[in-house]
Amino acid sequence: MQQLNPSEISEIIKSRIDNLDVSSEAQNEGTIVSVSDGIIRIHGLADVMYGEMIEFDGGVYGMALNLERDSVGAVVLGDYQSLAEGQKARCTGRVLEVPVGPELEGRVVDALGNPIDGKGPVNAALTDALEKVAPGVIERQSVDQPVQIGLKAVDAMVPIGRGQRELIIGDRQIGKTAIAVDAIINQKGSGIKCVYVAIGQKAASVAAVVRKLEEHGAMGHTIVVAATAADPAAMQYLAPFAGCSMGEYYRDRGQDALIIYDDLTKQAWAYRQISLLLKRPPGREAYPGDVFYLHSRLLERAARVNAAYVEKFTGGEVKGRTGSLTALPVIETQAGDVSAFVPTNVISITDGQIFLEADMFNAGVRPAMNAGISVSRVGGAAQTKIIKKLSGGIRTALAQYRELAAFSQFASDLDEATKAQLDHGERVTELMKQKQYSPQSIAEMGVMIFAADQGFLRGVEVNKIGDFESALLSYMKAEHGDLMDRINQSGDYNDEIAAGFKAALEKFIATQTW
Amino acid sequence: MAELSTLARPYAKAAFEFAVEAKDLQGWAKSLATAAAVTQYSAVVKLLGSPSSTAALQAATLIDICGDALSAAGQNFVVILSENRRLTLLPQISYQFESMKANRDKAIDVEVTSAQTLDTAQQQMLTEALSKKLERKVNMQVSLDKSLLGGAVIRAGDTVIDGSIRGRLTKLAELLNS
Repeated sequence: MQQLNPSEISEIIKSRIDNLDVSSEAQNEGTIVSVSDGIIRIHGLADVMYGEMIEFDGGVYGMALNLERDSVGAVVLGDYQSLAEGQKARCTGRVLEVPVGPELEGRVVDALGNPIDGKGPVNAALTDALEKVAPGVIERQSVDQPVQIGLKAVDAMVPIGRGQRELIIGDRQIGKTAIAVDAIINQKGSGIKCVYVAIGQKAASVAAVVRKLEEHGAMGHTIVVAATAADPAAMQYLAPFAGCSMGEYYRDRGQDALIIYDDLTKQAWAYRQISLLLKRPPGREAYPGDVFYLHSRLLERAARVNAAYVEKFTGGEVKGRTGSLTALPVIETQAGDVSAFVPTNVISITDGQIFLEADMFNAGVRPAMNAGISVSRVGGAAQTKIIKKLSGGIRTALAQYRELAAFSQFASDLDEATKAQLDHGERVTELMKQKQYSPQSIAEMGVMIFAADQGFLRGVEVNKIGDFESALLSYMKAEHGDLMDRINQSGDYNDEIAAGFKAALEKFIATQTW
Repeated sequence: MAELSTLARPYAKAAFEFAVEAKDLQGWAKSLATAAAVTQYSAVVKLLGSPSSTAALQAATLIDICGDALSAAGQNFVVILSENRRLTLLPQISYQFESMKANRDKAIDVEVTSAQTLDTAQQQMLTEALSKKLERKVNMQVSLDKSLLGGAVIRAGDTVIDGSIRGRLTKLAELLNS
């Protein structure tokens, strides 16, 4: 028996027949002269605009990318097997748009906003253009509110603010996506909506991420935009822009959103493929001349906008609220080479980077963040007070430790001060390790960093630090829940909190239960 | 196709400007059309495609066949084309010449395909309406296509106005399938 599609319900068909626009408008038409590798050349179409959607026979759409004197070069969005030379192509007068809005939360969609999770149609009320110009200077506000990632290493050393662009960079398989997923999971209850854009990944990896997000209850505030490795290059090129438009919906309405582009290297590859097939001249590493602009215009749209912009955008509906879109682009390096073309480009565009190192990952330091060269250029102003106060020593301790550790390999006996510093560094390194899918709250991070800073870890064996941490955290939760709650709410740090931490730690150390 | 028209453009433009200066648009259009038709004869195609035939031979042959249709300037044009091995572009050049001429005359060729035969009054009405819309003098060609079911399709250059029943049905089908 033949299956019935959801779109074949009589009511729907009836309304569609009712809505059919039968006016016969003058349309610009052209003829396909060549079809190759997803690139269509069209003769005619004299009135076509750059980036305009082009309609082919059979409901297939394309996008005009090359406007030449005698022909138009376009990419096909979807299956191009049905297209052939001689078929007609029509202008639509529209630019590409995707559905936006809260209806998308919890859904997995493709680069054009079509659902691919089998949960039925997305009935979004609004659509928005993929390509938009970023807010201007007047409309912006400086970054001064934090986005908690939930990882001690990141929040303490490379704090991220709302509206910031922080790059996650490193070789394959060393936990770039893990940081991104933890960041999404930690936004549960924070009011920050998340958009995860998967570009050129295996469908299995995307499915795994979605499953993990569902398991941790983080899918409710997340939109997943997936252009997998099997999708056409055009979709992989467009997916980040689609995700960005979905994120901007929140930014423009005085809310906060976080977007993750995983990863932009593959988008650059897809764009390189399209450009070369369109016969644009290749430049360095065969990338086209505008690959920098590709990423800069995308990342520029991640911004914090001021209340006046939000008020103007919403027509006075939302007053006195700033909006933000924070971006965590991911870049994959080859053998740690950050001086390749795309990594240098994106490093220079973003407001800092989290640099992951294969050696550290293999040595068991996870997240494998290299604290020395990871920076956040604007996040310091946004860091929570307690973390800012306490984490000052962490960076220096790790820097000194690295220096001394290299040096101490040659020296047999070390003086007491050096030994103490090495001990401390070793313990801090150990403390910065954190399991996947277990983001910590501000108070939890605060108490652990406090313990390290005040020397409470001195009596703990290095391989017991992990156990010490989990025991201490459950102790704090059980015995000092009100103190922890207070810190989580206000983020403050004062003498009273310090005294509370100290008393609790002394009591806990005395129990020796870890 | 696209590449050919790019190659043909400078020749068509030069010929057109020359013809305007010489005030002989009609004559040039005719000679170019004749020459273009000649280059499409199978024997001539063979000659033009043959690597062993020299440019001079090709030009001479073509001029010979065209006979009186080519003026002295026209013959020179053919020689220049042959020297650059571009004689095969003649159909394109002729086509572009025609469209430049039409553009200058503020005229446009319009194809009207209808499901039923249009009577003279209807044709007259269409011509008037189209001249007004396109702001051009309309040269209408009418053809019949029963498969349109009803209405008509008007084609003027790249612009298409689809007012046929078939077009509407296709639209409906796409809407229902989307």
